[in-house]
Amino acid sequence: MPAIAVEGLERAFDEVLAVQGIDLEVGEGEIYGFLGPNGAGKTTTVRMLTTLLLPTGGRASVAGHHVVAEARQVRSSIGVALQEAALDPLMTGRELIRLQATLQGLPPAAGRQRADALLERVDLTYAADRRVGTYSGGMQRRLDLAAALVHEPRVLFLDEPTTGLDPVSRKTIWEEVRALNEDGTTVFLTTQYLEEADQLADNVGIIDSGRIVAEGTPEELKAEVGRPHVELLVGEGAVPAAERACAELGKLLPPKDGKRVLLEVANGAADIPRVVIALDEAGVAVESLELVRPTLDDVFVAKTGYHLEEEEGKSGPEESEPA
Amino acid sequence: MSDLATTVRVVRALGARSIRQTFRRPQLISPIIVFPTLLLAIQTGGAGAGVELPGFPPVQSFLQFMLAGSMMQSMMLAGNSGGIAFAVDIEMGFTDRLFAAPIPRFAIVLGRLAGTAALGLFAALWFLAIGLIFGAHIEGGVPGALLATALITASALAVGGIGAAIALRSGSASVVQGLFPLVLVVLFLSSAFFPQDLMIEPARTIAEYNPLSFIVEGVREPIISGIDLSHTLEAVAAIAGIIVVGLVLSARALQHRLRVG
Amino acid sequence: MEATASPTWRSNLATILALMARAKNELVRVPGAAIPGVLAPTIFFLGLNGVFGALTQLRGFETDSYESFIVPVSMLQGAGFTGAAAGVNLARDYEQGWVDRLLVSPAPRWVLLAGNVLAASARALIPATFVLAIAFALGARWPGLDGLLVCYLMVAATAAAAACWGSMLALHFKSQSAAPLMQAGMMGLVLLTPAYAPLALLQPWLEDVASVNPLTEVVEAARQGFVGAVTWSETWPGLVALTGLLLILGALALREMRRTNV
Repeated sequence: MPAIAVEGLERAFDEVLAVQGIDLEVGEGEIYGFLGPNGAGKTTTVRMLTTLLLPTGGRASVAGHHVVAEARQVRSSIGVALQEAALDPLMTGRELIRLQATLQGLPPAAGRQRADALLERVDLTYAADRRVGTYSGGMQRRLDLAAALVHEPRVLFLDEPTTGLDPVSRKTIWEEVRALNEDGTTVFLTTQYLEEADQLADNVGIIDSGRIVAEGTPEELKAEVGRPHVELLVGEGAVPAAERACAELGKLLPPKDGKRVLLEVANGAADIPRVVIALDEAGVAVESLELVRPTLDDVFVAKTGYHLEEEEGKSGPEESEPA
Repeated sequence: MSDLATTVRVVRALGARSIRQTFRRPQLISPIIVFPTLLLAIQTGGAGAGVELPGFPPVQSFLQFMLAGSMMQSMMLAGNSGGIAFAVDIEMGFTDRLFAAPIPRFAIVLGRLAGTAALGLFAALWFLAIGLIFGAHIEGGVPGALLATALITASALAVGGIGAAIALRSGSASVVQGLFPLVLVVLFLSSAFFPQDLMIEPARTIAEYNPLSFIVEGVREPIISGIDLSHTLEAVAAIAGIIVVGLVLSARALQHRLRVG
Repeated sequence: MEATASPTWRSNLATILALMARAKNELVRVPGAAIPGVLAPTIFFLGLNGVFGALTQLRGFETDSYESFIVPVSMLQGAGFTGAAAGVNLARDYEQGWVDRLLVSPAPRWVLLAGNVLAASARALIPATFVLAIAFALGARWPGLDGLLVCYLMVAATAAAAACWGSMLALHFKSQSAAPLMQAGMMGLVLLTPAYAPLALLQPWLEDVASVNPLTEVVEAARQGFVGAVTWSETWPGLVALTGLLLILGALALREMRRTNV
């Protein structure tokens, strides 16, 4: 039985269809990455699956329970860390986790034990009796994650868990997510960070404007849009010679800015030695050589026509140019 | 002369802005009008039998007596509201924009006060209208109504000066907002809601010396019996005193604000 | 560990108590947080007493001590203010995402509401006691233990009703901007009663309104010990009125809580 099963799920807000009939399935023990830009429908989908929002169409089940008809059972089976870490700044970390334990119906002694164990797990024991208002952003996210785990849920929903965190805190959260998954927890993770989906997810669903535009493992999705290519920086005027030397070793792509030769190769890194030898025999001086693999951004561009991670200052779909 | 023209122009523009700000946001108008109107209804309905007490001034009705007090309450809240809005401007940095402009600095304060005075005028007219609709007579007729309106408008200017001074000094809207209970205290310790001679000690003695009592009596007299010169002069003197205090405090607070940024 | 079985009465009680403990944090951990809730009814009590105290000279007044007459009204005003403030806090919690944390748990909705409401009910006893102490200092009549208990019961239940009202508005508007409506609603309900004078001395329109206002029975029940003897016939109408208000406002608040996901 899948941990999460969604069929034709829809959510309308007045005349705006924020989620437009999506289908997806997440297996037990899987990490599912739900990738998309701001406003794509990720958070709306999570809120429907966690019973915070009623769908206006379709159906969904989580941990074998219908999200509408069996909402209470769903809530007992899931842990949730939402986009805004909803913490009370006046409570201490320990008080918050104990409150969460009480909300989940744990007896007091079990709740206290769980709180201590979880605080240690997320490395917050030293700050457990300090008010949450004094915590850094990374500490608050770790506490939020610990609170979501207090009842050992079967399915964990993480809505953009590392947005706004520094790289070190982000890596810490990733490690914790992997560890949880190794313990058997199914994780549904929404993110707007390609690297996060690439690093963590077993399967990725890409959502844009309320629709799923692609779904599969990161490798499957990347293979769909192309193979790895070798990018060679050669001297001015050496491009034709370099292209002649490499012509038999793969498929030549249009050169870049007059100095870079692009060669699509079938076997990835294994083809590099042959390329180097061919260029050497042809007397072409190579300033740099790089193996470039397709990224999830390439997948995103192929499916939507714009980049997911825009430069600072630019907005999303309306202003991007297709690749 | 050109300095005066500039000042007038700036005061008018900033005054118009402060009026627009208030009337565009119901949550700013509501404490100035809704709360005092609710209280007027409740106090008139609840304590109206007080007109039968020996020593109560001869009035047509308790509503007629209470109108002046409600105008005062609304005016005081307008002053508090103006101070809050000024503090918000400071917090948001809008006053910095004004300070950087080639305009007389004190015109910025006067502009805010002009807005508060306009609110006071609105409050006076509102309660006069309420009174007339619900059957109260203005014994002083049109001149009496005009006098009451003028005194309330001038009082709003005076109280607004104190609000502006606090805003400039503290730079914090929540500090100014925190003074709201004080507004109620000062009003209760005056003859705004009941004849001073019928109040209980120590409220009675405090009311006797409270400048607001002089203003209230000056506003009330034209409504309940007709224009009386001595009450009017006492009211004018009290208003003038508060204006002077407000202007001095505002000027000092403005200098402080310009110094600390 | 998964527990899809229904929550037990023990776990529901534990949740209510935990939410009440959280609510107390604001009073205990934020310096001065209790002051506004105490200041408003105190100012009204002292102000109204100083201004309208002479009304006791009117024929038909049950007492010659206006402090005794008005103190229950001020205590109930404080209860209304405290209950409405609970609604404002809930709106703030909603805006900051805290309510989502509660809604995503398996705790029943009525349990979540009860925690907020009972916290307000308990908290209202603070301003009530403060105002009462000042009233006694000014010479208010000792209402007897029975009168005191009835008065406190009315205060606690009124605060609970006010918290239901505030919670309903908070969950409907999902915003703190509904705060003036929460406060004004309760203020109106408490003061449109024989708050300032006995029913017979009110102006006709207010007498009519007060006659149908359920809070009139609550005011009379709370006041009885301060102006005379405590009797069952003066008490039960107040209890019935508050029970009715709690049922209606509680149902409306619960409905809004259940509809947050619509």
